[in-house]
Amino acid sequence: MRTGTRGRLARWALLRLGGVVFVLWAVATVTFFALRLIPGDPAEAVLGGPGSQASAEALAQARADYGLDQPLVTQYAVYLGRLATGDLGSSYALREDVASVVLTNLGPTLLLAALSLLVAAALALGLAVWSTRGGRISAAIGSLLEIVAAAVPHFWLAISMILLFSTLLGWLPPVSVPGPLGLVLPVLTLAIPLAGFLGQVMREALLDAMQSPFVLAARTRGEGDGGVFWRHALRHAAIPAIGLVGWAFGSLVSGAVVVETIFARQGLGRSLLSAVQSRDVPMVIGVVLVVALAYMLVTTLTDLADRLVDPRLRRVSR
Amino acid sequence: MNRTLPSLVAAASVILLIAGCSPAAPANTEPVTGGTLVYASGDAEPTCLDPHVGGNYPQALVATQYLESLVSIDDDGEIIPWLATEWSVADDGLSWDFTLRDDVTFTDGTPFTAEAVAVNVAHLQDPATGSSTGYLALQKVESVEVVDDSTARFVLSEPDSALLESLSQPWLAIESPTALARPQAENCESPVGTGPFVVTAWDRQESITLERNDDYTSPPADAAHEGPAYLDGIEWRFLPDSASRYAALQAGTVDVIDNVQPDTIVAAESVDSVEELNAPRPGASNRIELNSSKAPFDDVLVREAFIRSANVDDAITSLFFDTAERSYSPLSSVEKLGYSADPELFEYDQDAAADLLDEAGWTETDADGYRAKDGVTLELDFPVSTNQSIPAEQSLFEQLQATAKEAGFKVNLEPLDLSSWYGALGENDYDLVSAPYTKVGPDVLRILFDSAGTIPAPSGYFANHSQVKDDALDALLQSAGATSNEAERADDYAAAQQIVLEGYYILPLYDQQNHFLLRADVEGLRAMPTVSTPTLYDTWLDR
Repeated sequence: MRTGTRGRLARWALLRLGGVVFVLWAVATVTFFALRLIPGDPAEAVLGGPGSQASAEALAQARADYGLDQPLVTQYAVYLGRLATGDLGSSYALREDVASVVLTNLGPTLLLAALSLLVAAALALGLAVWSTRGGRISAAIGSLLEIVAAAVPHFWLAISMILLFSTLLGWLPPVSVPGPLGLVLPVLTLAIPLAGFLGQVMREALLDAMQSPFVLAARTRGEGDGGVFWRHALRHAAIPAIGLVGWAFGSLVSGAVVVETIFARQGLGRSLLSAVQSRDVPMVIGVVLVVALAYMLVTTLTDLADRLVDPRLRRVSR
Repeated sequence: MNRTLPSLVAAASVILLIAGCSPAAPANTEPVTGGTLVYASGDAEPTCLDPHVGGNYPQALVATQYLESLVSIDDDGEIIPWLATEWSVADDGLSWDFTLRDDVTFTDGTPFTAEAVAVNVAHLQDPATGSSTGYLALQKVESVEVVDDSTARFVLSEPDSALLESLSQPWLAIESPTALARPQAENCESPVGTGPFVVTAWDRQESITLERNDDYTSPPADAAHEGPAYLDGIEWRFLPDSASRYAALQAGTVDVIDNVQPDTIVAAESVDSVEELNAPRPGASNRIELNSSKAPFDDVLVREAFIRSANVDDAITSLFFDTAERSYSPLSSVEKLGYSADPELFEYDQDAAADLLDEAGWTETDADGYRAKDGVTLELDFPVSTNQSIPAEQSLFEQLQATAKEAGFKVNLEPLDLSSWYGALGENDYDLVSAPYTKVGPDVLRILFDSAGTIPAPSGYFANHSQVKDDALDALLQSAGATSNEAERADDYAAAQQIVLEGYYILPLYDQQNHFLLRADVEGLRAMPTVSTPTLYDTWLDR
């Protein structure tokens, strides 16, 4: 029985790993060709951006330096070969190793995303608990708040909060400054819409759980309101929310593009934006690959978390 | 995003009208030394801090603080000494001798000599450098000979009346030959010049740290003081979003911001703690170019009809709130050889437009009310670069689209990112386009309107977007570029601009906007009369 479980786990891990490699290859390939299909010359990125009016000699030099004079298929093969050895290449625009640029920027973005996720989860939980336990009016208010929160665009929220907390009240810096104070507005900007989504899901699940047979069973065992809620219903409600965490992480990374730009924060989102604008192919692929990898890592972890929270999944073999 | 931000800022300005307004501090008149100024740029972050590499405006903005040129320009547009004290041109116009200052040292200790000038020109002309702006400006320069330590001779392949203007630009600034000998990546990160400040760190996507050069001795002839700068240093930050940039200025997080939008300028007028500096860029005015190489704009009648149908003045008034002045010239108002047409040439007149279209044979009307000829709708493709066009300008294009519709033009506005936009231009896939071009001096006309400018570079880029091919115009631009007679040069350029304007190849709009907002305690900030980049050399903080 033990070896069987271990074998299943090994097979599951192997499949998962194969999937990861396949997805990374697909992402690299699609990005590589997509960036080449849209008009614009990557050699110009080397020379300071499109329309740089570079001389023919300079362009020829740049093409030779970066292998851009080779046929596209050759460039692709060379690039893939390098990727396979873990070499992300060097950025056209920044004249630096993509890996080192990504590493520098990964930390700030992960910190932003992780904090936003935590704050969003806390907000969503608070709102869901308050609105399901507070009767009909608080339920309506909670539901409305969630819908509004989920619908507000990041940039609108960011600018509104800058106006309110920086310009009018003067409590918080309007743009990124070193230290925790500079993180408050960026984190709230990402967390509030996400809390709206998570809250909706959690409240549904909570309401659902409160009416389900196991809660009735618990009550008949003499469990009080609070016990039923905290020990049973909440656990039930966490399951769909955990399932959403992977998706939420993806949305946080895309939201980071906006938030990092508005608050002038260092990070992957801002790197990605400027790399796309300057058609810096290695940089774009590098960032996208790292984001894809992080995304897959997070979904794997949420799968594992699901198994911990939901004992039923542990019994079902995959 | 671009559409919504201006309205948010407008809303914000209303709130600020009520909430803002702090009392102004009494002005100190004696400059004080000390303090770090935070400059927040809304321009792109340079990819290389050496403006020889590539050569665009974001590089010029920051390089003005640490690099210096051979000559500069004063407020009257006259060439004045800087690193070079004197110059003379040979009678045949084929060689220029520059006398250099002999008491200047680069911040890495390398002495500034004629050899350094020669190395810089060679660096700009080396394909491996990847220079575009500097390279183009030095096209007629064959080499630089070192006559002696303080005399550099520029040897030309043909006379170049724009040489001094070209050399005044920050993209041709002089760097330490010792520093240039390093690998490019290294020089990009810490270029070394003779300027009042020194680059000490570059934290990408965050800021560039600049510290005062205590041994500084070489201000341009029109600077307000001598000796080292007043500021201890500058924190040069990148704040891409215009709303947060203004919020940061108001909060005092930053001291100076650039790329200020019209609605923000208006909002700031009522805020006592904030002042404005308006410094239009030289070179070309902002204008719409009409692609005369293909139908329907190969017909001058249709070009004139479009220009008559465009209600530019009303659109500027409503969208720029008097922060931009209408231009009737291909050149910026700061160019002393700029020629302005009679405003009547561009007068808004729908009846005239209708008559012109009738005359040109666009007499049919299609189902949607647009003019047509032989069953073909009068359609115009107008790709718009969202990276280079501010939101107010994009709204202006929309208003022009609406007034042109009344005349029967169907204008297809296509907002594109920079690469796609250049792609569309390279494929001749446009009828209307608006492209900025900054250069010191009227020689920019040669780049924009010479027939040679219609031939795409290997990158697909060409600068003559209106695709004017006119022998008389070419001849005028050629002789203006070669003559050493100032009066003749002025006449040639005036005649050339007249041909461009009267041929309805362009619709001039306004100067290239260059507005700065600064906190009221920032004193002595001025824009260089060269390409209007701010210089912080004379700047001090009154706090």
